[in-house]
Amino acid sequence: MTVFAVAVFVIAYVLIASEKVHRVTVALGGAGVMVAAGVLDFEHAFHSEETGVDWEVIFLLLGMMIIVGVLRQTGIFEYVAISAVKKAGGRPYRVMVLLILITAGASALLDNVTTVLLIAPVTLLVCNRIGVNPVPFLLAEVFASNIGGTATLIGDPPNIIIAGRAGLSFNDFLVHLAPIVVVLVGALLLLCRFMFRKQFSYDPARAAEVMRLDEREAISDPRLLVKSGVVLLAVLVGFVVSATTGTAPATVALLGAGVLVLISGLEPRQYLADVEAPTLVFFVGLFIMVGALIEVGAIGQLAQWATEATGGDVQVATFLILGVSAALSAVVDNIPYVATMAPLVESLAGSTGNPDNVLWWSLALGADLGGNATIIGASANVVMLGIAEKNGYRITFWQFAKYGCLVTLVTVLLCVPYLYLRYFAFA
Amino acid sequence: MIARDLATPCPSIRMEDDAIDAVRLMAEQHLPGLVVCTADGRPAHILPGTQVLRFVVPRYVQDDPALARVIDERTSERLLGELAGRKVRDLLPAHSDVEPAIADPDDTVLELAAMMTRTHSPLVAVVDSGELVGCVTLPRLLDALLSLGSA
Repeated sequence: MTVFAVAVFVIAYVLIASEKVHRVTVALGGAGVMVAAGVLDFEHAFHSEETGVDWEVIFLLLGMMIIVGVLRQTGIFEYVAISAVKKAGGRPYRVMVLLILITAGASALLDNVTTVLLIAPVTLLVCNRIGVNPVPFLLAEVFASNIGGTATLIGDPPNIIIAGRAGLSFNDFLVHLAPIVVVLVGALLLLCRFMFRKQFSYDPARAAEVMRLDEREAISDPRLLVKSGVVLLAVLVGFVVSATTGTAPATVALLGAGVLVLISGLEPRQYLADVEAPTLVFFVGLFIMVGALIEVGAIGQLAQWATEATGGDVQVATFLILGVSAALSAVVDNIPYVATMAPLVESLAGSTGNPDNVLWWSLALGADLGGNATIIGASANVVMLGIAEKNGYRITFWQFAKYGCLVTLVTVLLCVPYLYLRYFAFA
Repeated sequence: MIARDLATPCPSIRMEDDAIDAVRLMAEQHLPGLVVCTADGRPAHILPGTQVLRFVVPRYVQDDPALARVIDERTSERLLGELAGRKVRDLLPAHSDVEPAIADPDDTVLELAAMMTRTHSPLVAVVDSGELVGCVTLPRLLDALLSLGSA
């Protein structure tokens, strides 16, 4: 049964990575085969905390998707972005700096794909106005999105999976990952200055065109904006205090979504427009497939090998996880990667020790930052490329990789001293 | 009532004509679209006015309606500038799974209505043996449907 489960999993993984079959079809098909073959029974597939679907992850994502669905109707994102660009006086590098900061900040609170969908149209408009090539700006934003999303529990789906498996709170992520993310965003700003140095030509006449944009017109419904803002703030406070109140983040998100839906007066088609059902179903299938590997003992065996490979040394394990996760996340989607690795890291932590959850932080940093290396590393990259192409700007795989690999290399290398100093040298 | 009875004379334009000429023709004759002919004069496509708009309005504004509100009037005045140097061929969708809205002279009103629905075209070219007989516009079709209903 072990060989069968591993074979089904590997085939599914190859199909997902090759993108020859839609990933939802593969995940559901793989899960179906596991259950039909009796690797997992219904109870273990849907109700077990160890091997079943992590419903907290699913409902946290659902709740946040609904909140975002309402929030984006308000036009606040366009308002903030255009205000910032006007404050930058239309000077290209200053514009890029502010757009990177907005994207990274938004990505910490919203999922990366949504952030990219919101920021890209404004960026195209602004670049068109100031007469610069939008490609460097779009690339910088997608890098910022993947980096910024690393900072919080809700910023990137891999973090949500890690939190679910490790029982980590919203504050744990803030305390352990947000400080290094601030440094990494700073590094990205410098890197962009260097990488795109020939793209920042300033034309005062074109810059004046940006100043004529009226950002206040972007706000279509001020009352809805106030309601959404209050609920989002309450949800964020709820996340922060959830560790002390014992409320699950998923409960907070669903409660916020429910209240917002009630007071917004929007139709279901409006607030459900951003609910990505395929993503949620993909997660369900993935959890069942990984659960099957746990059930047959394959994950435990892998963890044992990993323990032997690291000599049981948590420091070696930390940097191995960071490096391997960054490298693999560059070529496979980081969601299935983390879903597979999370139970393995949990087992590994049992034998090597896990001071201050350092193994989880190295997994999150490696997987989230590795997604920047190539187009296929993260969903947000693919979405951004699609938007660029629709607007007549083609970004090739190698063009992306040239900048993405450099960003990944620098940001992952910066994590090494951070992890070493914080969790080992001064622990 | 069949397509031949409903068709009215209408101008056509060629693939290699300037795009701005197509816009001018539509505006001057109050047409919702134009019949586009090949070099040998055979009707091959319908160019709906909305397709022209799709071409000149930036895609990012189409995707994010909030941006249309923040842009000043001066930009709207420059929209048709996008057509400078473009040919009618450039305005047509590169790939379309939908057949062109071209009907036979003996097609019925229902067939014309179904074709407009299927092709999202406000104009159907009526063609006989490769020659353009005329066009049926959406208002003309609705008029015919009303008169059939009251008969």
